[in-house]
Amino acid sequence: MKQKIGQVTPDERNEIQQLFERRNGLNELAKILTPDNDALYQKLVADLGDTSTRFQQWWDRMAVQYGWQGTPTGHWEINFESCEIFLSED
Amino acid sequence: MAKNITFIVTKDCQLACKYCYLVGKNVKERMSWDTAKAFIDYVLAREDDFREESVVWDFIGGEPFLEIELIDRICDYLKLRMFELNHHWFNSYRFSFSTNGINYHTPEVQRFIEKNRNHLSIGITIDGTERKHDLNRVWKQATPDENGIIHPSDRGSYRDVVRNIPLWLKQFPDAGTKVTISSPDIPYIRESVMHLYSLGIHQVNINAVFEDVWQEGDDLRFEEQLMLLADEIIDGGWYQDYACSFFSEHIGKPLDPVRDNQNWCGAGRMLSVDAAGNLYPCTRFAQYSLRSKKALVIGNIRDGIDQNLLRPFLTLDRTTQSPQKCLECDVASGCAWCQGENYDAAQTATVYQRSTAICLMHKARVRANNYYWNRLYRKLELEGRREEYERNKRSIAHQTC
Amino acid sequence: MMQYLVILLDDTSVAYCHCDNPHRERRLIGLDDLRAGILYAMKHNQMLQFVYPDYELPQEYLDAIDSIDHHDIVPFPMQGDVAVLNTVADAAEGAVCVLRTSLKELFAAEAAVADALRRVQRLNVVITDLDTFTDDHLAAYTSLLDRWAALLKEEYLAGRTPQLNLLTDRMMLSAPNHCNAGVENITLAPNGRFYLCPAFYYTHPEDSVDPADIPNAQLLRLDHAPLCRRCDAFHCRRCLWLNQRTTLEVNTPGRQQCIVAHTERNASRRLLAAIRSKASFMPEVDINQIDYIDPFDVKNEF
Repeated sequence: MKQKIGQVTPDERNEIQQLFERRNGLNELAKILTPDNDALYQKLVADLGDTSTRFQQWWDRMAVQYGWQGTPTGHWEINFESCEIFLSED
Repeated sequence: MAKNITFIVTKDCQLACKYCYLVGKNVKERMSWDTAKAFIDYVLAREDDFREESVVWDFIGGEPFLEIELIDRICDYLKLRMFELNHHWFNSYRFSFSTNGINYHTPEVQRFIEKNRNHLSIGITIDGTERKHDLNRVWKQATPDENGIIHPSDRGSYRDVVRNIPLWLKQFPDAGTKVTISSPDIPYIRESVMHLYSLGIHQVNINAVFEDVWQEGDDLRFEEQLMLLADEIIDGGWYQDYACSFFSEHIGKPLDPVRDNQNWCGAGRMLSVDAAGNLYPCTRFAQYSLRSKKALVIGNIRDGIDQNLLRPFLTLDRTTQSPQKCLECDVASGCAWCQGENYDAAQTATVYQRSTAICLMHKARVRANNYYWNRLYRKLELEGRREEYERNKRSIAHQTC
Repeated sequence: MMQYLVILLDDTSVAYCHCDNPHRERRLIGLDDLRAGILYAMKHNQMLQFVYPDYELPQEYLDAIDSIDHHDIVPFPMQGDVAVLNTVADAAEGAVCVLRTSLKELFAAEAAVADALRRVQRLNVVITDLDTFTDDHLAAYTSLLDRWAALLKEEYLAGRTPQLNLLTDRMMLSAPNHCNAGVENITLAPNGRFYLCPAFYYTHPEDSVDPADIPNAQLLRLDHAPLCRRCDAFHCRRCLWLNQRTTLEVNTPGRQQCIVAHTERNASRRLLAAIRSKASFMPEVDINQIDYIDPFDVKNEF
């Protein structure tokens, strides 16, 4: 069950899309990077933490800015094409 | 805007499709890891020269999945290096494949898919019903000729491909297939598109070949098939969730010589590399793609790109390459061309002479397309559902090649 | 419309443009071919330009040539309408001459060119290795042109008007004046076949053309050259042979041809302004200030 609850600007969409893409990239990189490549591994761990934080901060910031309501069993989703925000019940 | 960068990992394929534009497929030219790595190092070291926001790393053959081990190594190296170099493409990249689907289920390919799931775009080519598919998409003969060139056998490949469609659609539910129409395929267009829909493929990207293969009367037969297809899509309600690229509201209009003067094709903005480390403005300019012209090599992985050789591609516009009949055409929009085919078919070695072999087929498509939209909109209006359709209609991906 | 027919009288006829003549063995054009070429030019109202080797032609050839109004392009020290020099020091008083030179030799010949400009009516400098010109040459080429421009300014203000193609052609032009090979002129080679220009004969002898039916002839025209048709380096040769050599397309110049032509264009602009600061001169010509030297770099703004 999905319900549209809002809309963001293209610039705001670009910001979260880039973070989303980066997080996916880091997760897939994590599958092939082993701790023996120490420097790169540390860089990856730090980046994953930073990207995840910024990802969450975007949702928190937008929720306040646009007044989106959540539910205990739902989560927000964005349609990257239309910039629409949906509340999706699990 | 994405940069499209193609690795021609092999010129071998299990199939020897009769309409394939790759006239020089062979078993000899397989890319080595050293060549692939040198190419990647060349590209990633020149971030200032490749400023496109995104990149599509494209793998083509022959059949790319014949080289899955090499591809896996390439993709791992790309991910590592883009991250290590803080390259802007790490935030926006795709690995793209156009495959015949025969090896799709193998453990090697499946492991690769699992590893790169969020960055993959995989299209399996299936041409429609078994008889339509097997008309052209046949296995190659067991042994190549003395030059290593592969030739077609009588054995169709439909069953070897269709068994992998459910797995593919499960992994990529929005994936589309690419269908190619040549002269002998025309009688099977309607049944083929409907068959692909029935397999669960929602997006059918279909195009008539650009080569001069058409027989007298083909345009009328083509138009008739498309109208039958239009009827079936409309009467069966398929238009709501399925799309066929033959039908588009944007085709068949006159084009303004100034406002609509852009080139159709992306050759020159793309980059391809082959097993020898030669660079091309598009795969279609490699020797194995050309019937009558020499390969148009724009550089190599050792010396880089000769920027002068890109200038014709990057200044090419629609009006300069088009003959007068195209400039005056009332239904010009949507009439496509392939720069490589233009080059191959041209009287002189130029990319500035547009081939018009597809002219009558485009006009036939426009007539059937007009019929489709007139019928569909009238039906929707009578049912009071036009607005609802406009709101929800499926967008068709713009396909240029 | 084809206005000129160039006839190379011998395989060793003197090269007068960008491309070197690789032929070392004499091969005179057949007398029948020469006569047919002359007849062709007469029937098509084309002005004839004969290009000579460095030896005396047989009398029947000279008689044939004399049967029609024409221009002669000759190697120095032969006498003709245009003399191709071995060295710029050979430039004679009042002469119209061509100096074919490499970039390196051109820089070395700065003083000799300056001397020649005080004598000649016109000096056409043709850079034979133009395809080796890089952005690194720009500063030196600009200042070389400016030094010759300072001399020309004094000559013009003194009432003498020697022409140096690199500097004075652009300031005399208000429309393109390209080579136009294959459009306004065509070449008859010693093998009796037509070519777009001598350079195509020298480098692609298999690519002869029928002047009445040149394949993709539209691509030779300015309106089918996307970069050049909007360019105002009007004096540029827009050499099709160089285009093909550098970009593989006859209608697209390589960067070298563009940046050389624009360096000259801009030097002409400064020369024109310098002359006008002292006297009224060519009021109908306007050369704008631009901030690029290669139209390709601003193609999206065209």
